[in-house]
Amino acid sequence: MPGTLYKAAAIVGAAEADQIGFLNTPVTSLELHIQAIKNLSEQTGIPIAKIDGVFSAGWSTELCEHLGIHPKYIDTTSVGGCSFEMHVHHALAAIHAGIIEIALISHGENGHSARKVGNGGAGNYARGAGSLSPGHEMTVAYGLGSAPSNYAHAMVRHMHRYGTTREDYAHIAKVTRDWATLNPRAAMYSKEKHPFGGPITVQQVEESRLITWPLTILHCCMVTDHGGAVFVCSPRVAASLRTRPVWIAGAGESMSHGNMLEMGDFTATSAWRSAEAAYTMAGMGPADMEMAQVYDSFTITAAITVEMLGLARPGEGHLLWKNGDAAPGGRFPINTNGGGLSFNHSGMYGMPLLIEAYRQLSGTAEDGVNGVKGKQTSARTCVVNGTGGSLSTTGTLVLMADD
Amino acid sequence: MSYDKPIPPKGTHTRPFWEGTKTGKLMLPRCRDCNRVHWYPRHLCPFCHSRNLEWVQGSGEGTIHTFAVQHLAFGPWAKEAPFVTAYIDLKEGDRMLTVLRGVDPNKPESIPVGAPVRVEFEQADDDTFIPFWRVVEA
Repeated sequence: MPGTLYKAAAIVGAAEADQIGFLNTPVTSLELHIQAIKNLSEQTGIPIAKIDGVFSAGWSTELCEHLGIHPKYIDTTSVGGCSFEMHVHHALAAIHAGIIEIALISHGENGHSARKVGNGGAGNYARGAGSLSPGHEMTVAYGLGSAPSNYAHAMVRHMHRYGTTREDYAHIAKVTRDWATLNPRAAMYSKEKHPFGGPITVQQVEESRLITWPLTILHCCMVTDHGGAVFVCSPRVAASLRTRPVWIAGAGESMSHGNMLEMGDFTATSAWRSAEAAYTMAGMGPADMEMAQVYDSFTITAAITVEMLGLARPGEGHLLWKNGDAAPGGRFPINTNGGGLSFNHSGMYGMPLLIEAYRQLSGTAEDGVNGVKGKQTSARTCVVNGTGGSLSTTGTLVLMADD
Repeated sequence: MSYDKPIPPKGTHTRPFWEGTKTGKLMLPRCRDCNRVHWYPRHLCPFCHSRNLEWVQGSGEGTIHTFAVQHLAFGPWAKEAPFVTAYIDLKEGDRMLTVLRGVDPNKPESIPVGAPVRVEFEQADDDTFIPFWRVVEA
């Protein structure tokens, strides 16, 4: 009897770059990708704009940005020459699941030309800032480097557009620290744990050291050590375990850009798209959510994200914290572990979001981890949103407690 | 003093831009099919996906879309801090990153989003003139 994915999808076209082989005029890997994609589009009649899933061995952010597309499924699996066969497998599963309909699997590698022009071209995580990425080429001169140096531009635009102030966002840092003071595992739990730990005031946030105006250091996440893991299992396996399941009701993902130069709207991330997909899958909406775990790399990140998730109107995200809704005891808890601002943030904060959402919805937050207690809330639903890059990529989950 | 800050590596398709900067021209890629200017330079138009691209001379005029003041910087830029980075809306469309000139980094509240700016070029080496943007005096 055939498996579930039997004939669930098909390969419908195949094309190559204009010139391949030992090219006299050197090309970049990026150009080889783009030529092949354009030729594939012309061969099949499928417009590039219709591509909704992008699979490549480490290039997906750069490709999507270059093409100006915002896919619903992004895969950069890069495990060697077999990556592309795996991409077919992953695309098959995504198509069968109804997430996407048109998957692009792309390859470009200037193995010969690299001797003359280097093998850069992917200005993203997989290969580091590629020396031949045109986005990198046109931004490297201007002294940006760290995350806050980029994110601050979004805060200034948000302030300009909505009349918000830096103090508005400072409430996010203050309230998130309040949560951390209830979580003994938070890096900023107390003065005993860290010299700068324990409760903080809005005024302290405002008067702390400037990193990139308008971001002071207390508007910025920490850089700590962190490790974590979760299991995702079938309902059958879940039923056999002694731990309580937390159900994945909805999931979605998207991206708007890689390089912040390509961020069309500095007051919005692609989380509105990833959230729409997640809410639709779940058959629920923002009004059905009882808590949120959102990536707070900076206060502005959290503010924009809750706006994108439909938890607040545009320009009013910060009010959830300022009004006390998101605070301990408030009607809508957010970042109950103390967030990337005050719990832990190792560079990529997506895993702590998952762990805290699991602990809250499984009712095990008070059980703690490694014998240290946390703060349990009564929420039964939670929207989780991770943000990557320079406000570039987003993944949203709608999670539900077991009945 | 010689230019000591990062000098962009040149790609295989951006030569007309860098050649233009040597004579004070801001060359921009434009799509012959949809007539839209885009930035940074692509291998195909990011708006209509045509490969029918050309280079045109831009006006060198724009406005401040948003900005930030870099107090913490790294490498050779560290000694320049604080300095103002900005995204510039080009008159022809799309957006460019720059380090803004003619503004006071210690008075960020005085820097107006939307203010008109004009491009200028600074020589970094024999082959590279880097565009910077300056606020136009009212």
